[in-house]
Amino acid sequence: MYTKEELFLAISTVIDPEVGFNLVEMGLIYDASCDDEGNAYIKMTLSTKACPMHQLIQQWVKEAVKKMAGIKSVEIDLVWEPEWNITMADDNVKKALGG
Amino acid sequence: MFSVSQDFAPPFKLISPFFIIGSLFYLLSVIFLFFFSVENLSMLDTKILSFVHLFLLGFVMMTIFGAMAQLVPVVLEVGHFGVELFYAIWPLLGIGTIMMAFGFLSYPMLLPFGGVVVLIAMMIFVMEIFLTIKKVKEFNLVISSILISNIFLFFGIIFGLIMALGYAGMISVDIHTLLKSHVFLVIVGYIIITIMGLSLVLLPMFGLSHGFSKKPLKISMTIVSLSVLSVMISSLSGVVFMEYVGYTLAALGLFVYFYFIKTIYKTRARKEIDVYAKSLIFAYFSLISSLVLGLSYLLSGYEPLLLTSVWMIFFGFFAFTITGHMYKIVPFLVWFERFSPLVGKQKVPMLADMLPAKSASAQFIFCALGVLVVAAALLLQDEVVLKAGASFLLVGALAFLRSVFYMINYKQNII
Repeated sequence: MYTKEELFLAISTVIDPEVGFNLVEMGLIYDASCDDEGNAYIKMTLSTKACPMHQLIQQWVKEAVKKMAGIKSVEIDLVWEPEWNITMADDNVKKALGG
Repeated sequence: MFSVSQDFAPPFKLISPFFIIGSLFYLLSVIFLFFFSVENLSMLDTKILSFVHLFLLGFVMMTIFGAMAQLVPVVLEVGHFGVELFYAIWPLLGIGTIMMAFGFLSYPMLLPFGGVVVLIAMMIFVMEIFLTIKKVKEFNLVISSILISNIFLFFGIIFGLIMALGYAGMISVDIHTLLKSHVFLVIVGYIIITIMGLSLVLLPMFGLSHGFSKKPLKISMTIVSLSVLSVMISSLSGVVFMEYVGYTLAALGLFVYFYFIKTIYKTRARKEIDVYAKSLIFAYFSLISSLVLGLSYLLSGYEPLLLTSVWMIFFGFFAFTITGHMYKIVPFLVWFERFSPLVGKQKVPMLADMLPAKSASAQFIFCALGVLVVAAALLLQDEVVLKAGASFLLVGALAFLRSVFYMINYKQNII
């Protein structure tokens, strides 16, 4: 129903308030897919296991995807492998953080 | 899918009193400095004891307890056993601290009563933490550090109460025998091991550090824990050799810990040196200074070196570690409570927007200058320099208080 790129675009509206970048440019979204019935699947991680906004961020991702027309359900798969590191982020993020 | 649950965050109204009162005690401690005279300063001077309890109980412990109310569920990944108990902790700790401060200063009869009130507050805290830890299924280094530090705190406050009773003349006890155990159990065993454990969570989280080894932290925590045990054994058995073994181990453990912190710093992705980073750099610089001064005292026996070493660890390491983290923890808690429900509906601020840049910067500069100038005054035994340092610290403490209130009351004009 939606391509990975379309789902990524929707999730890019979710911003981490601590660093000020969206989850996609941070490299925290590993994969996304959606079947013809509108069931979306998002594979993602967080920059740290101890993130106190852990559940909120997942909720925001769900809400961002659910805003897309025809989406019935959103499954979030929160994984810790591969472990996130800064090399997974976009160049603009690396540049800004490295400042 | 791995589950890391954080839906146990306590309400901000429960935590905010710890931070507000802690900041007020910091200011009071700084004001206290104006009443010192460098000429007759001694570690066992009643004024010093009053000041130390005001600072450590009122500011350091109060703020750590508040932070733990929020951090324990995050770190342990289980909900608090009884988070409501924290509503009782801050009033008891605050009242007990004031009673103890006055007790040391001029009314020794207040000491056992203040001591008991503080004991109750701390016992509630320690038991709540123990019962929360009981829910944990899998232990890691951070959880172990919380368990170890709270066991040390448990014994430290019992020793403290016995000393308070002895000080007030209610029981006959050799206070000097227990003093070193009390000091080491609470300051090294609780405060330092808690900071060490939490630094594994907080520093990489805020600095986005990855790929560092946890081994140095494990080694340093083991060495520091052994140092506490050595001093305690020496204090109870009278074997002086063990005391020096304890001091050496503590210094060694903290040097290894410093190395660990350096690896986190080197592997961080976030290079920005904001007020948080500056505060921590100053804090760890103070820790190293304190260790060097402490070791110099052991070799020379010159007491001003010991006083300066203690000063650097209290107002340099402890204070800056705490104030630095307040600039991260308070905005997060306020944001979580006030703005997170508005995400996706309205424009919300970033956490960095909630920092009062000018007062935070003023706090850092004036407090750092104050710490260094007071340290110089203690070493030089100079009265005027001491008052100058205290003046810098007073401006810094007022700026800190302003920052805390600004962050707590932050409201955004949402368009």
